[in-house]
Amino acid sequence: MIGTSLFRWAISYFAVAIAWLLLAEVLIVAGFGFPNHDIDGPDTLVVVHIVTIGWLSTALCGALFQFVPVLVARPLYAERWTLPALVLLTLGLSVLLAGFLTLGGHLNGPRWLLPVGASLLIAGFALVVANLGMTLWSARPLPGPARFVATGLACICVTASFGGLFSLVLSGTAIGAQWPDLLVSGVPIHALAGLGGWLTFTAMGVSYRLLAMFMLAPDSDARLGRLAWLAGITALAVGLVGGVLALWRMTGLNLTLLLAAAAALLSLAAHGRDVLGLYRARKRRALELNTRMSLVALASFVAAAMLSAAFVAAGSFASHVGALAFLVAFGWLTGLVLANLYKIVPFLTWLETYGPVMGRVPTPRVQDLVAERRALKWFVLFFAGSWMATLMLLVDAALGFRLAVAVVTLATLGLSEEFIRARRLADVAEPLRLPTGAAAPHLLVSRN
Amino acid sequence: MTIDDEDLVARIRQALKVVIDPELGHNIVDLGFVYDVSIDDGAAHITMTATTRGCPAASFLKEGVANSASLVPGVDTVDVTMTFEPPWQPSMISPGVKSSLGFAEVN
Repeated sequence: MIGTSLFRWAISYFAVAIAWLLLAEVLIVAGFGFPNHDIDGPDTLVVVHIVTIGWLSTALCGALFQFVPVLVARPLYAERWTLPALVLLTLGLSVLLAGFLTLGGHLNGPRWLLPVGASLLIAGFALVVANLGMTLWSARPLPGPARFVATGLACICVTASFGGLFSLVLSGTAIGAQWPDLLVSGVPIHALAGLGGWLTFTAMGVSYRLLAMFMLAPDSDARLGRLAWLAGITALAVGLVGGVLALWRMTGLNLTLLLAAAAALLSLAAHGRDVLGLYRARKRRALELNTRMSLVALASFVAAAMLSAAFVAAGSFASHVGALAFLVAFGWLTGLVLANLYKIVPFLTWLETYGPVMGRVPTPRVQDLVAERRALKWFVLFFAGSWMATLMLLVDAALGFRLAVAVVTLATLGLSEEFIRARRLADVAEPLRLPTGAAAPHLLVSRN
Repeated sequence: MTIDDEDLVARIRQALKVVIDPELGHNIVDLGFVYDVSIDDGAAHITMTATTRGCPAASFLKEGVANSASLVPGVDTVDVTMTFEPPWQPSMISPGVKSSLGFAEVN
């Protein structure tokens, strides 16, 4: 197959995702959830699920619907499933949050909110997994980066399944009452599969192809990424299978997680070595902002891994887990997603606007849709704010943490404006901006 | 090929420079995407490639090539073939564009 089509709802997915991110940031700045409240309390669960499902998963799903077909040179299995998936994910999360708010005493809602929200989310993720899974299935044998995505899809199934079970326990149903200890022991598996398997492992895999493409670095060596993938699936298999076994036997969970962490560190080290190799072999010396910021995000991930190892060695991991999770969710994943949106949004906008008139009239470049110098300051603020917020959590300075997240929020607003400017072609100089035959894009949906 | 045909091929190549790779920001002729242009009694045959097989811009590039070539006087019909054999390599980029993309001299 030659070429893939534009995914109509990609921009809609990104817009919904950014709205959730801003909401999460505002809630944190307002002092809602951790560290003002318990790390496993309902208020913290509200913020955590807005970030991981509303923001990160929604953005990742939108990007994967566009990018998996590029990765495997096959059309998306069913584009018609993508809008229902977005609706289910958004609705499911909203109901789930209402359930958490009820649990925290902020709402007087019925107890079925949590299981219903979880069911809607499971249905949404099932549509995503089936769609991307069938697309990958049609392209076997899978290229390296696609294997990471396939593993990520398996992990979101695990995450969602555990989430569904938790909702039965938390809402006090008779079925949930049969597993009173599930929450205590199952949360690490739920978090490991979600943050580690679904979000991080998928992002690592996609990074191989994206970095190679943007840096013009050779990535045809079949060995590229193999060690990172093997160590990663070992970590996930040990963590998930071992975790479930430990849960069943009621013992050995810590040892299992330690073994999984060791394999995960090896995976990250191999990934870091691969990215460094791509960087050194790149033909394009002058890197664009999105690539540079992706590398900064990766540095946050490496820092989080090194800090984790140090805290485990010092025996203080449990008391710092909130700070580490924040660094992974913001410094690494949010930074990486924002950096890539800074390329994907103008690229899709370019294709939609100028693709149909190419060859008939001169067209601008994708780079003409953005102003890197202006956006750089928002990225600097974003990463500085994320690192400062992590530091504030490490030293137990709750107010400092909220102030630092206020800076992150400001940076997010600034970058959101940059994305809107790209959609509006605001930085494209005349007369190239809207040549004859070109139609201006809509803000929130592509014309396809 | 006659001198007229050679002239027409040169004019087609020149016309194809209106088509750019949006990501790399340079025209596809200087990027080395155009593998072959031939003319056969007013029918232009163009063989081209793109950076990667699944590239969402590939179909637009192909269409853009057909559009721009068909605007060249003397061209009656245009036939564009997209191939990934051989796969495109950065070494196919012209020296001038290489330097503007920031290629190191060793490359």
